[in-house]
Amino acid sequence: MRIQINARNRAYQFEAQPEQRVLYAALADGISLPYECSSGTCGTCRAKLVSGEITDTWPEAPGRRYLRHPDEYLMCQCRPRGDCTFEVSSFVYATDPGACVPAFTRGVIRNLRRLTGDVACFDVELDAPCEYDAGQFMVMEVPGIAGYRGYSMVNFERGARALRFLVKKKPGGGVSEWLFADSIEGTTVDLYGPLGSAVFHPKLGKNILLIGGGSGIAGMMSILARACQEHYFEQYEGHMFFGVRTFDDAFCLDELAACKRQFPERLSITVAFSDDDVPQAARDAYPELTFERGLVHEVASRGMQGRTRNVRAYLAGPPPAVDAAIRMLLLEAKLTTDNIRYDKFS
Amino acid sequence: MTRRFACQRSEVPSDGLKECAVEGNLKVLIANSGDEYFAYQAICPHQDTPLCEGLYDGSVLTCHLHLWQWDIRNGAPIGLAEAPLQRYQVELEDDSIFVIDPTALDVAELFTDLPQQTLHDVMALAKREEHAAATALYAEGDPAEDFFVLDSGRVEFLVGRGERSSPAGFMLRKGEVFGWNALLENQPRRIAKATCIENSVTLRINGREAIAILERDPASAYRVMRKLSALISRYVSPPGAT
Repeated sequence: MRIQINARNRAYQFEAQPEQRVLYAALADGISLPYECSSGTCGTCRAKLVSGEITDTWPEAPGRRYLRHPDEYLMCQCRPRGDCTFEVSSFVYATDPGACVPAFTRGVIRNLRRLTGDVACFDVELDAPCEYDAGQFMVMEVPGIAGYRGYSMVNFERGARALRFLVKKKPGGGVSEWLFADSIEGTTVDLYGPLGSAVFHPKLGKNILLIGGGSGIAGMMSILARACQEHYFEQYEGHMFFGVRTFDDAFCLDELAACKRQFPERLSITVAFSDDDVPQAARDAYPELTFERGLVHEVASRGMQGRTRNVRAYLAGPPPAVDAAIRMLLLEAKLTTDNIRYDKFS
Repeated sequence: MTRRFACQRSEVPSDGLKECAVEGNLKVLIANSGDEYFAYQAICPHQDTPLCEGLYDGSVLTCHLHLWQWDIRNGAPIGLAEAPLQRYQVELEDDSIFVIDPTALDVAELFTDLPQQTLHDVMALAKREEHAAATALYAEGDPAEDFFVLDSGRVEFLVGRGERSSPAGFMLRKGEVFGWNALLENQPRRIAKATCIENSVTLRINGREAIAILERDPASAYRVMRKLSALISRYVSPPGAT
């Protein structure tokens, strides 16, 4: 089916299969339509349907609250029923030549393991290798539950054959509860990606600040992995702040401690507990890491005093935590907006 | 020029923001900066977010959703922002703040920061025109003598002819400038067809005469040409692309 997008600067045409989301087909064709979550919550991919018919796969999507007219839709939730034309009110360009172009792929779930009471980790073994940038995410659709959900890669490898993800169990969250079931090992899932613009390249040439709340640490760990692989911290500083409620809710601390041991001089990793004092057991178990009590953005604000020159910050986590960190970085640390990177999920 | 009451001065926090509903079902954002007050569109031009929920330090306004920023003194975009804020003139009377609708030329992207005299001279060239929906302003191949500033409505562009034609963008914001060929060397003909899709109001300005005015004020001419090249490049490549 022929899809046309009328953007502010020009029109684009591409083919989409009836089962494909319009946004996904466009991005796969190298057309950089505006999007952030690509899974129905943020509203960034809204567009006006000018002609043709579509199926809206999720009429209750939270991102629809940003729509203003009955003929507006979220392109991440639209499947074409024939040739269609959409209008997008922003300027749209071709994808940067160096960027990883997203594609549809499939994979098998392996190594599902619980890290805490409500966080699990799993790998997806892919049918074909995947190129992505550190900090990016994939959307995944699991059997029996309609709709794609976004998960950031934890690992970083060139031409990765397996992607590692974190998932937080949300009561009533269909996919997260499904992932917590024990019987899913070996299940085949549909994936699309990589997606997301909050990416790190070693050619950045700045100190990096990583602030992650809960399972939002996933993308920050991918950035940390890439920076360690490239020996980035031999030249630049890295500061990671990882927010969880209590020591019992913390995870991946072994991996983080190993990174710190590799670059003891210019890398610092701080774990912030929002709901509890720091137990001595934490300091005994992980002498490489710093532990503090407080909300992660407050702990980061104190920890970054006098260190905010030439810094690029990456943020991920629950929206209120990301918003608080943005406010802190702009108003207190005086970072410029182009040095604050995050992908909005709601 | 309509003047409308916005609010009392005492209602605007020092170096702070206030959203006001004014007559005519319009919302404006009033910003205080030291002794001065500024008025802008109340909603972010990006994604309909109320700007009064943004971050503001008395000089730079940041929309909290995607960190678009503007200089509070003129509404000019900073950093990631892809569009200026529509500005209203402010008049103070005792404790009352009034806002006045700007003219299209006041907010024309091409002419921001020009000295009053130069802007006044360009304004004298402008012919205000009202067009019914479906009016074609020019067609591909027509002589490109005038450029246009959109005041209201919507203008769409088509390139190519007949079956092969393809949409080449649209203008919908007050102050957007099109028909730039009239300001360029060796570009005597239109390269697209321009049609008013809604009832629209435009200012028509003769390119050669505008250039003659700018030649008397080279500093302004330089600014206008820089703006023009930035506008044209937006249609060709993304901001920041190398």
